[in-house]
Amino acid sequence: MSDHDLHLKKFQKELSSGTVSLALLAVLAKAGEPLYGYLIAKELERIGEGVLSGKQSALYPVLRNLEGAGLLESHVEPSVAGPPRRYYRINDTGHEVLRQWTAAWRATRDSVDSVLEGVTE
Amino acid sequence: MNIESVAGRALPTTIPAYLAQLRAALHDADPAMVQDALYDAEEYLRSELAAQPGRSEAEVIADVAGSYGAPEEVADIYRETEITVNRALRTPSAGTAPLRRAVPAGTGADAVPPPPAPPRPRSALARFFGVALEARTYGALFYMLLSLATGTFFFTWVVTGLSLSLGLMVLIIGIPVAVLFFGSVRGLSLLEGRLVEALLGERMPRRPTYSDRSRSWLQRIGDMFTDGRTWLTLLYFVLMLPLGIVYFTIATTLLSTSMGFIWAPVAALFSSSYVGLHIDGSQMLPVWITPLLAVVGVLLLFATLHLARGIGRLHGMMAKQLLVRL
Repeated sequence: MSDHDLHLKKFQKELSSGTVSLALLAVLAKAGEPLYGYLIAKELERIGEGVLSGKQSALYPVLRNLEGAGLLESHVEPSVAGPPRRYYRINDTGHEVLRQWTAAWRATRDSVDSVLEGVTE
Repeated sequence: MNIESVAGRALPTTIPAYLAQLRAALHDADPAMVQDALYDAEEYLRSELAAQPGRSEAEVIADVAGSYGAPEEVADIYRETEITVNRALRTPSAGTAPLRRAVPAGTGADAVPPPPAPPRPRSALARFFGVALEARTYGALFYMLLSLATGTFFFTWVVTGLSLSLGLMVLIIGIPVAVLFFGSVRGLSLLEGRLVEALLGERMPRRPTYSDRSRSWLQRIGDMFTDGRTWLTLLYFVLMLPLGIVYFTIATTLLSTSMGFIWAPVAALFSSSYVGLHIDGSQMLPVWITPLLAVVGVLLLFATLHLARGIGRLHGMMAKQLLVRL
């Protein structure tokens, strides 16, 4: 039992490593306005299933990395609730990368689906 | 996957307690990463609390342990991501699309697919000359040249700020000036951290330090003055002037000397009087020795690159000690 759980956890971890970046880019591209970490996390929580419903603390480092890679831009605004918030916005490179990633994702999803077709559950 | 986590250690009931527990769970991690992790967690917790008015902090934190993660889980996630990021950012050979390598940025430790090839043992010769291929060498060299400018600026800023605040303290304006000055020092410290990380490769914080929000404005301003970190930052900025001068001098002297040596044979082609060692007006160096000088120049150039890397590493360590403490 716990052995199966372990396999599942490992699989989820590997599956999430790329998809989370893709999902974050997509959320920011759809939003059309800058969002800060918490809002992005809540948006993913609302629609997230499977690996996207993992711990939301994992999103922050990924956001930072996406910014470091030049796909997002950010600025800081003070907030009454707590520390100043960092708002993220997708830039042109980000849009372009998202387009390519989406194509790669769709192709992968379709072929994985067709491979899985007929596999008894 | 979200419910099982609540078990284990008792959940904290206040945000400061949560952050303290997170800090304790990360006690052996890189202080720069701890600062970022605390900042992120606080943003999430405060936003969650603000989004659910009427609920107590303890209730909100119990929820958050499911969605954001309990302190220990968050600590594990950051630790794992840090390993991934470090692996993603490390470029074995200079200039091979570092940007694309940084993108994977996943949450799992296995985000970077190519397994690290076992490092081939390199000969001493390859190690000595290989330094020229590593991007960090030039980062360190550039930092040494830049530090004259930044060092002068930081020193001037600190000395002016301190004396202005002290001098005006007799009038009442000294107090706001001092507060503004100390605030600016924190911002500058973050900026210098970015420089150090970009050029010297030492991981530095990307977010400001966590400040306890339950304290009033006045108390927090007071904290700024009693915080040892503020004073160490000032010390660092003051030290930057002499260090900057030394770094700049070392870099320019050694670079120009080795360049001069390297081009000595070419200069000798035009006129033998260009090259040489003149003592009392008489040439002490025969012309045939200039090719030898060129070899010495090349060796000196590479030795300089090694020295720059060494200084860069030392300076990175010093910056971490003085600018990042928790």
